[in-house]
Amino acid sequence: MKLIAALFLQVCALAQQPTVLVITADSADYVLAAGGTLAAMAAKGSAIHVIRVSNEEKEAWDLSPEEAALRTKTESEAAARLLGVKEVISLGYRAGELADIPFTTLRDKLIFYIRHYKPGVLFLPNPYIEYERVFDRYHTGRAAEDAWNAAALENHLPPFTASGLKPHLVPEVYYFGQPVDPRRRDAESTETFVPQLKQMDIAGTLATKEKAAQALKTTNDAVTRRLKARLDATNRRLPALQTINDASINALVHENVQGLARIAAQGTAYKAAEEFRYAGLAYRIPAKYRRP
Amino acid sequence: MAFLFAFLLAAAFGQTLPQLPLPPGKVVLVPQPHHDDHTTDYGMGGLIARFVDEGYDVYYVRASNDEKDGVALPAENDNINHRESVAAAKVLGMKEVISLNWRNDYTASIPLNELRAQLIFLIRKLRPDIVVGHNPWEHYQKNPDHRNVGRAMAEAYWMAGLANVHPEHFKLDVQPHQAAYLIGKARLDWGLGHTPNGAFSFNEAQQRRKEIAYQTHRNVYAHPASARALKATLAKQNLTVPEFANLDDQAIAVQMEEWFMNWQSRKIGKQAGAKYAEDYYFMDEFDHLPGLKDYLQRNIQKQ
Repeated sequence: MKLIAALFLQVCALAQQPTVLVITADSADYVLAAGGTLAAMAAKGSAIHVIRVSNEEKEAWDLSPEEAALRTKTESEAAARLLGVKEVISLGYRAGELADIPFTTLRDKLIFYIRHYKPGVLFLPNPYIEYERVFDRYHTGRAAEDAWNAAALENHLPPFTASGLKPHLVPEVYYFGQPVDPRRRDAESTETFVPQLKQMDIAGTLATKEKAAQALKTTNDAVTRRLKARLDATNRRLPALQTINDASINALVHENVQGLARIAAQGTAYKAAEEFRYAGLAYRIPAKYRRP
Repeated sequence: MAFLFAFLLAAAFGQTLPQLPLPPGKVVLVPQPHHDDHTTDYGMGGLIARFVDEGYDVYYVRASNDEKDGVALPAENDNINHRESVAAAKVLGMKEVISLNWRNDYTASIPLNELRAQLIFLIRKLRPDIVVGHNPWEHYQKNPDHRNVGRAMAEAYWMAGLANVHPEHFKLDVQPHQAAYLIGKARLDWGLGHTPNGAFSFNEAQQRRKEIAYQTHRNVYAHPASARALKATLAKQNLTVPEFANLDDQAIAVQMEEWFMNWQSRKIGKQAGAKYAEDYYFMDEFDHLPGLKDYLQRNIQKQ
């Protein structure tokens, strides 16, 4: 009887976990910036859906764009499975070309998915990060942020509304990104107006995150080979890259994931963390209107 | 590593900006929207002159046709500004001015990927180690050309190294090539929109070339009318400037510009512990791999 009650409580707890929607330009961005937090949410029972906007055809070494697009799609699904993600939807836009995609075209697709999945939590690339040189992440972040807002408004995309996709406001948003911006933690305004810094302890899921990052083999191979080419061209060497193979690439990914976790943990007691700009209940609702 | 050392050194001496060493390399590409962006008061003539003097080949890309800049009609402005741009580049010692001729102040409405493709091709052709231009992350930048050429540059400098980007270029005997360093300039007097992380110093002679290059753009700077306006204002208060006594209005205008340029370089120089300097946001070769930066600094060895 006790066992049945415990199972019932477990099922109830799982059922209460919010659906999570992740919008990302490329798989490496969300896995490296938010993989640990997502793995923890998945373990608690959240159903996580990932919208992967670009086809990642450019991030490859000695592969045609077609082959790179195919491999990265398969690998993005493998990485997502490791994190506990339920589904990856690849929109297939050509990587590196998002600047010329009409903004509203991308935004409206994202509105569709927000209304369809009705997530309780949304992860999107932070478009306000400075010195992020992958501008696909900026374009995706801008469209995703606008979609978050517009998905809740009745007069956006009335055909969707008429077909049963009702407006939906996502109550919690995590802005993620790589820590390339030296001013990323600067205070800007209060939590009513600006998403605030939020650091999440990922010590318990760091190993899972690392495995997911290592599953992005095509991207990792390209990053590693470009790094080695740069070092060779400037008469330098990295002992760990004497030979490039799965082991040495995975070792580099390990260092990267560990390094990112240390950077995000700075200023906390955590050993490993991820950092976000977070818009939750307090965002847009002044304190006087909130219950303690 | 050099950057870290420079930062610690600056902090030790109470300077607000670390002096940066020139990044290693042989070739510098300067993609800018306008004829005069390489020689403006807040920009980069001093740094360019130093690059040239230290043996780098420096190329200037003028992305727009500058038809709006000046008092003449558009086609005439284009012609004059191009001519003056070439003259200013010569003063600084640059190798060449490459004009892309996009319509001035209309780059907001062009396909940015097309402009980027042109820069990618030039990066593959000229193989720069360093790219210098407008900081595309600058805030409060009202000029659309500055924003958009900066954006295209910030993508082109590394995407030119990817073989799957514009593979058609490889039919023209060029190879993928990634510039390792990006140096972004921006105005500091525009709010908090730009926080420089370092300064490049230069010497008296290089400062002098910067001043001359600046006032070479007579179509837009050092106009005699500015001298006449200043003299009129001073006359109302019974004031004169002794240095202007034997100069005509054109020479006074030039003198004013040179003083201003000199003051500007000294102001930044003071912050960096140098006589003359310009401030920038410098993106180092591994800044795009933040999780690996420490690891790479610790473990990279010379061969």
